[in-house]
Amino acid sequence: MKMRELADQIGAKIYLDSEISDPEVTHLVAADTASGLIAGASPVTLLVTGLANLQLIRIAELMDAPGLCLAGAIEPGPGLLDSARASGLTIMTSPHGLEKTRRLLEGCLRGAGAARR
Amino acid sequence: MSCRIHGGDFDQGGQATRRLKEKLVRLGVSGAVLRRAMIAAYEAEMNVVIHARTGTLWARLGDGKLELEVADEGPGIPDVQLALQEGWSTASEKARQLGFGAGLGLPNIRRNSDRFEIETRVGRGTRVRSTILLDAAAAEPRPGCAMDPAIAVSAERCNRCLRCIFSCPTGALRVHDSGPLLRSGLCVGCTECAAACTRAVFSIRDREHLRRELLPEGQEAVIVLPRALLTSPLLGRTPAAALDALARLGFREVRFTEEWEDAVQREARLHESRPGAAVPVIAPVCPAVTALVESRFPSLIPNLALTASPLDAAGEEFPLRPVVLVAACAAQLASAGTSSLTDRLTVITPADLFEALRAGGPAAAAASSVAPARPLLRAPREVTSGTAGAAAHELYASGARDVLRALSAAEAGALDGVRVLTLRLCAHGCSGSPFVALDPFFSVLAGPRLLPLLSGAPESDAGAVSRSAPYRQRTGMRLDADMASAIHALGRIDELLATLPGRDCGACGAPACALYAEDVVMGRSGSSSCPHASLTREVSP
Repeated sequence: MKMRELADQIGAKIYLDSEISDPEVTHLVAADTASGLIAGASPVTLLVTGLANLQLIRIAELMDAPGLCLAGAIEPGPGLLDSARASGLTIMTSPHGLEKTRRLLEGCLRGAGAARR
Repeated sequence: MSCRIHGGDFDQGGQATRRLKEKLVRLGVSGAVLRRAMIAAYEAEMNVVIHARTGTLWARLGDGKLELEVADEGPGIPDVQLALQEGWSTASEKARQLGFGAGLGLPNIRRNSDRFEIETRVGRGTRVRSTILLDAAAAEPRPGCAMDPAIAVSAERCNRCLRCIFSCPTGALRVHDSGPLLRSGLCVGCTECAAACTRAVFSIRDREHLRRELLPEGQEAVIVLPRALLTSPLLGRTPAAALDALARLGFREVRFTEEWEDAVQREARLHESRPGAAVPVIAPVCPAVTALVESRFPSLIPNLALTASPLDAAGEEFPLRPVVLVAACAAQLASAGTSSLTDRLTVITPADLFEALRAGGPAAAAASSVAPARPLLRAPREVTSGTAGAAAHELYASGARDVLRALSAAEAGALDGVRVLTLRLCAHGCSGSPFVALDPFFSVLAGPRLLPLLSGAPESDAGAVSRSAPYRQRTGMRLDADMASAIHALGRIDELLATLPGRDCGACGAPACALYAEDVVMGRSGSSSCPHASLTREVSP
């Protein structure tokens, strides 16, 4: 499922760079710890977290994750956005808390999976 | 590779792992192995950032596995079992705010490792080792390849004198109309062809991926070179002048390859005394000899002591300093640093070093009016092997002819009483490499000129390093991987050989009729043919 579509469905704001294509994600990992995120990350996994620092970018880079979803209406700072852009990552900000964001996104991805089947 | 990690620097945290990823990807590592490596390396790196003052990430790829090691200078772990439990952490509040300190780091490393080790000393530091097995198929050596071809051929200089084909100890060379051709599957990277050639047709091929910055940027750089280089007029008028020249290039310590050769020698002696050791133990001081054993004398593979080559060991000796290794031959260049992905390690050829000297070194050094301090040296721990002091049960040989005789005798069990074999393919060892010395004889004679410089120098602390990969039989000489096909090919070779004159004249471009017959049967004879074959057939009944 495309990140823009996911963002639309949960009411999230997406920071999609025009030079980066809207990435496809099929899984998500939600955690407020770096270890939790990196353990579940993959090239098709959206990283969902309440953190907002440069280590998120590093984890996404290392694991080839396509994007980040910042829960709790966290506005990414310019440094984070610049780093994400440089790394080809897409960021979205969810107005909901981490747990609710996870539930909503899982519902979307499950629905998309069922629709594909 | 190795990469420094700075404790407390959360902005730069993860950079070492990122660099590791770049290198692994270039080496073709991908998929689950890459993913597991990234998790293990990142967690270990961030542990240093969170808990320690400084640390280093090392990575080593080879023998079907990726080995990661992260060592730090930090507080150590008082209770390792507790630290391995999920959720236990002593991270600072700052680290926790950034998403660390969940007590999942070490469990994550262990979960993503096929082998996991941790050593720690309270107040000193912690060392974490993670081994990740690669795909079994990827670990297999390429069939037919004795070693990475590291000999470059400038065919346009060749005058077809044929000296090279007769000098090659493995029959790897052919000379056709287009010039010399090297069968890389047979080449062991020795210097025989270059030593025989009068027209500089052969040189050591640069391995671009190892040639990063030639000259060190730091103040603690070490250069490891064959002792004979220091007496080379290309480096300096005198050894002292050569040392000063190296100082101007930024080197603060000059070490000799022979120091690690002696360490390997000592280790071979220990190996010989162990129960069950296959004797004579072959001290792997010369990587060309090791490759020769693996390709031409595979029955002697168990006799090779399980230590890394001297230059490889030297590369491991200085984990935190930039090191430049000067390879005396293609075999050294091909073997040094192959399993190490380090950034601090650069392997160069003597020609590279001479070129750097001609260029004048770093601009900063050239601009400085103050002469840099003369680099430190280390005195050998014992009389250099191969000369006086050799034990009665040890046999030394150098030069291809004597090495082949010694190995043939060892294979035939004809070396009664010999317990340790130390063989070097170049005459006089690395001093005899045509890439090191203009003349090996005078290079050896010049050796004593170093003695005044070594007087008062601290004794060498060079040590041998265990070999990370087992020895393997090289498949370069095998006619075919399939035994039935190989037997069939052998029959055809014998048939053809019977029609040849047996002069081994080299006119066909091969050093022997048998090798020419093999080339024809295996479809690699090139454009040349035997000028005597038709004559032979005419006179034969």
